[in-house]
Amino acid sequence: MFGLQWAWLAPVACIGAFGILALSALLRRSLPSSGVLPAVCAIGFSFVLFWFLLNSLINGAERDFTVSWFDAGGGAFNLGLTLDPVAMVMMGVITFVSLLVQIYSLGYMRGQPRLAWYFAVHSLFAASMLGLVLTNSLLVLYIGWELVGICSYLLIGFWYERRSAAEAAKKAFITTRIGDVGLLVGILLLYYKLDTFHIPDILRAVEAGALSDGVMTLSAILIFLGAMGKSAQFPLHVWLPDAMEGPTPVSALIHAATMVVAGVYLVSRMLPLFEAAPAVSELVIAIGLVTAVMGATMALTSNDLKRVLAYSTVSQIGFMILALGHGALAAAMFHLATHALFKALLFLGAGNVLHAVGEHSDVDIRRLGGLRSRMPVTSAVFIIAALALSGIPPLSGFWSKDEILQAIWNYGNPATLVITIAAFFLSALYMTRLVWLVFFGKLKPENQSAHEAPAVMTGPIALLGILTLVFGFTAPDWLDNVFGLPGNATGFAGFVLDKADSFHEHVVLAAISSVVALVGIATGLALYRQGMKLPDTADRVLAPVRTLATNKYYLDDAYQWAIDRVVLATGAATAWFDCYVVNDTGVDGSGKITALASRVLRRHQTGQVSNYILVISAGALIFVVAITLAA
Amino acid sequence: MIAIEYYLVLGAALFAVGVYGVLVRRNAVLILMSIELMLQAVNINLLAFSSYLIPRGDTERHLGFIFAIFVITIAAAEVGLALGIVLRIYRNRSSVNVDELNRMKW
Repeated sequence: MFGLQWAWLAPVACIGAFGILALSALLRRSLPSSGVLPAVCAIGFSFVLFWFLLNSLINGAERDFTVSWFDAGGGAFNLGLTLDPVAMVMMGVITFVSLLVQIYSLGYMRGQPRLAWYFAVHSLFAASMLGLVLTNSLLVLYIGWELVGICSYLLIGFWYERRSAAEAAKKAFITTRIGDVGLLVGILLLYYKLDTFHIPDILRAVEAGALSDGVMTLSAILIFLGAMGKSAQFPLHVWLPDAMEGPTPVSALIHAATMVVAGVYLVSRMLPLFEAAPAVSELVIAIGLVTAVMGATMALTSNDLKRVLAYSTVSQIGFMILALGHGALAAAMFHLATHALFKALLFLGAGNVLHAVGEHSDVDIRRLGGLRSRMPVTSAVFIIAALALSGIPPLSGFWSKDEILQAIWNYGNPATLVITIAAFFLSALYMTRLVWLVFFGKLKPENQSAHEAPAVMTGPIALLGILTLVFGFTAPDWLDNVFGLPGNATGFAGFVLDKADSFHEHVVLAAISSVVALVGIATGLALYRQGMKLPDTADRVLAPVRTLATNKYYLDDAYQWAIDRVVLATGAATAWFDCYVVNDTGVDGSGKITALASRVLRRHQTGQVSNYILVISAGALIFVVAITLAA
Repeated sequence: MIAIEYYLVLGAALFAVGVYGVLVRRNAVLILMSIELMLQAVNINLLAFSSYLIPRGDTERHLGFIFAIFVITIAAAEVGLALGIVLRIYRNRSSVNVDELNRMKW
């Protein structure tokens, strides 16, 4: 059987591709717009490797591998792999979406300058993401975590000639850094208390009660802070919409399917820690819920094609975090996988639309319309994905959303359930709005020349569309006999949880969520197709909410205010202190005191030899007298 | 026999005269002469101690004498060197007044 330890080949192949591309660019002293083969080959190899590993995992191969890395300061640092089903799901999502996005980029980014650099960073991104999910050491995880952040920065700012792109890259980097600091402190706190970075050991210690409640709560909060930054959870979600300044395939890869779910993965990985700290689980639920609703409302009011999708991502990741807060690992991972498929599809479809109308990264959806006739393939799969996101059975999104509802029903309180259903309604509504405004209605005169994208771009999204259609059927246990899963693992849940367990289908909840989705779509159609006006009273009630959502809940303004008035003011005060107190008084002062003292003291050097002799003689005399008296 | 104290008092007096000369004289040559006085004061002490502390007939009795001879030799060499320096200073500055030789400072 193919050993699972060979998983290390995947990140190494990808980082090798990065090395080859970067080195060749270095040797040529330029960033060529060709020669991208190593990147695509490496990720393709990783994807093939994934299937071998999956086969070995299902057949029960050994999963935990550790080799010594280095010993220093009395601690042993190890490199290791843990290939449990959660890591395997992540690996599948990362390699598959990365592969499709790179193939898509061959078409979308054709003729762009610095293309080799683009693919090099894609490879580095895949390598660091794979390293992040496959390792069993929090230290290596943190390294991958930071590398992912850097790749995100580089790719958002790929078109750095545009000021807005450079600003967005900086914003994304700094905002996620705020969370990363929390993660680092959390990791160090766990290391300080348990003397290990090895995740299974840490989780065992947590379950054995080796940590005090305070430490567990604190470390869980700190680790969740890292997840909030990377997964764009309220209040650190502000970077994700701005990140749409990057090339569209980057948005599909990083800001929808893989990087932003790193936080979800981290919380999944450390779930026993969160379960041992109930207060933090409450916080996780609250953050997830706020993010889901807030993201949905902002998606509803945003007018930029990619920003709508970005806010939708924020909202959907909120659902995953919400599920994790209820301890529903399988539901969160399932939604992660389905969301990765249909959100990558939506972004790549949006890329096709931008390609068709000749824009690069931002386009007002009110300027679009009627593109369905010009782009049959794109519009068809886009609509499938939108329906999946809305939760229409039997598409994949329906199943995963249903599992989240189920988890809340089982473990949560009714208020959470109601708010989640309301957020589902909003999801259906904003997707309907988006689809209608972009693909239906009248074709605008300036878009007459819009055309379908080439096959290299439609192929990947068609494949994603098919998977979006069928992936949901892995949720029930119908297919187990087909796949021949051993033991009594049942469906996706049994695979992820690694035990005889399956999603507990609840017919009433499924019916409610389907009806809510249908009502959302119907409402959307009524509002945007027929141009129906809301009744005056409803309009008046909703007006403040709409203002809030349009202005992004004033969070950006609040942060700007905080930066201007708090950060910069503190910085100015610190600079003043450094300049006048530390430098002028402290550093210059000590020098001045020395100069002053020497100016006074040098007077005793008269140059008169007889003076010196007098002092020497007097000293000798005093010495002799002192010794005589003492004796 | 003359008590050792007499020799020691003579040595101390001679030394004090030498120190006084070094401190108050301004002429470099006179300072050198005062230094010679101090050296001879030490010689007197060495000879006195050698004679009084080591019994007659002991081979180590001559140790102090040999010391004194060394001191005289080195004093001669030192005076030769010092007078040479003084001569150079006189050539340069037409003076051997040590108050004017105050370049050894900041």
